[in-house]
Formats: sequence, C-alpha cells, structure tokens
Amino acid sequence: MICKTNNPATRRYMWRMTITMVLYVAFLILAVETFVHYRPTGALAWLLAFLPALAIIGQIAAFGMYLAEEKDEFMRNLQIQALLWGIGATLSVTVTWGFLENFVHLRHMDLILVYPLYCALSGIALGIQKMRYR
Amino acid sequence: MNCLTNNTAARRYLRRNLITMLLYALSLALSISVFLRYHPTGLVAWLLAVLPALPLTGLLAIFGLYLAEEKDEFQRFIGVQSMLWGIGGTLAVTNIWGFLESFVHVRHLNPILDAVIFWIFVGISIPFLLGRYR
Repeated sequence: MICKTNNPATRRYMWRMTITMVLYVAFLILAVETFVHYRPTGALAWLLAFLPALAIIGQIAAFGMYLAEEKDEFMRNLQIQALLWGIGATLSVTVTWGFLENFVHLRHMDLILVYPLYCALSGIALGIQKMRYR
Repeated sequence: MNCLTNNTAARRYLRRNLITMLLYALSLALSISVFLRYHPTGLVAWLLAVLPALPLTGLLAIFGLYLAEEKDEFQRFIGVQSMLWGIGGTLAVTNIWGFLESFVHVRHLNPILDAVIFWIFVGISIPFLLGRYR
C-alpha cells in the first residue's frame, strides 16, 4: 500500500499509520489478556486501559503530521474539508444518541465507537469531495 | 455581544449562535417538562428526545457557514485549525474514556458531552493559534 504513491507525505503517513495500528493491536491484546488472566486493579489497571487509547491518539497525531507535511494544497484542503464534515456528522450522531440515552433510555453508546464512526464519516465525506472536484 | 466586531461574517455568526442557543434552551425545557408531566412513549418520546439535539447540531452548521462566509483568509485559517485541534482533542478524550469505561468501569460519559468537549478544545486552541501566528 505504501508503494502505491510517490508523495513523501503520504508515504510517511502510511508508515506511521501502520506502526500505530500494530501498536494498537499489541496494546489491546496485552490489556485484554492481562485483564482476563490477572484482573489488575488500581494504577496498573488504569495504565493498561490507557495503552490502546494511546495508540489511537498516535494515529490522530500521524494524520495531523500528514496535514502539516502535505505540500499539495488542493489535497490538503480536500482532506481538511472531509475532516470538518466528519466531525460535524459525528457530533450530530453522538449528541442525538446522548439525548436518546437520557430521555428514552437507549443503550449506552460505547465511547470507543466514536473514533471509528468519525473515520467512517470522514471517509464518506472525502469520497464525496473527490467526486465533487473531479 | 454583536457590537464586539465589525466583521460581517462574525456578526452574522454571533447572531445565529445566539438564536440557536435560545432554541436549545427552549427545546430542552420543553422536552424535560413534557417528560416530567406526561411520560410520553414511542414516537413522541423519540421526537422530543431528538429535539434538543437539533440546535446543538445547528451550532456546528453555523460555524461551517461562518467559515464559508468569512472573507479574511487568516481568520478562516484560524477557524479551521481550531476545529482540527478540537477534533483531535475530542477523539483523544473519548477514546481514553471509552477504554477506561471498558476496562476499569469508570462512570459512563454521556455522548452529548462530546460536543461540549469539542467546543472547549476549539476555544482553548484559538488563543494559542493566534499567539503562534502573531
């Protein structure tokens, strides 16, 4: 996948993304295994729960670095527009879900799902933007 | 508050923001009082629960309109950058909280607060961005 593009910013982003994804999987397995077998408590439990989130934060930072390094202004603008539409759509969903939780006792939304939801909605927005500017 | 700036787009944004916040307060008061007095169920309950979410979604749309109408490129750039920091901050917090909910059973964070966290991060980032590009 990394060889698909000659853009150095994209290649660097793909590398960073791959590393953070591997770290995410490793941290998640470590946390789940430790919790299942040893039932840690206190600071250790908090630290283990924090680890997979740290990898996701790394992914967000990797995308920020890509935006800072991308020299093609058109591509950068396209990505930023997609991110903005993505956050608008994500917060619309979470706010609506939140009120439904409060008023009609809808199932609690697992907050881990906010990030994949955001990625999916931004991805859709990017596709629409690309079609629009074709 | 509207007299604070001569910028037409900013004035329009402030006016729209004020109207939306009023609509939010009204719709929330309406939903709460109907739920307390009449205990609605089914479709009416869902509609009343979604009602206060609409103005909160509107706040994001209004900021989008401001970005589209703002003629000063620097101000628009600051607006977009602050939203990007807002996205990063919000996703970082929700991810950490989500994993803490899953593993160490911290209190459930209502997804309505995602929007609040987002605007807090946007608000914090603006003075930093302005300071950086002064």
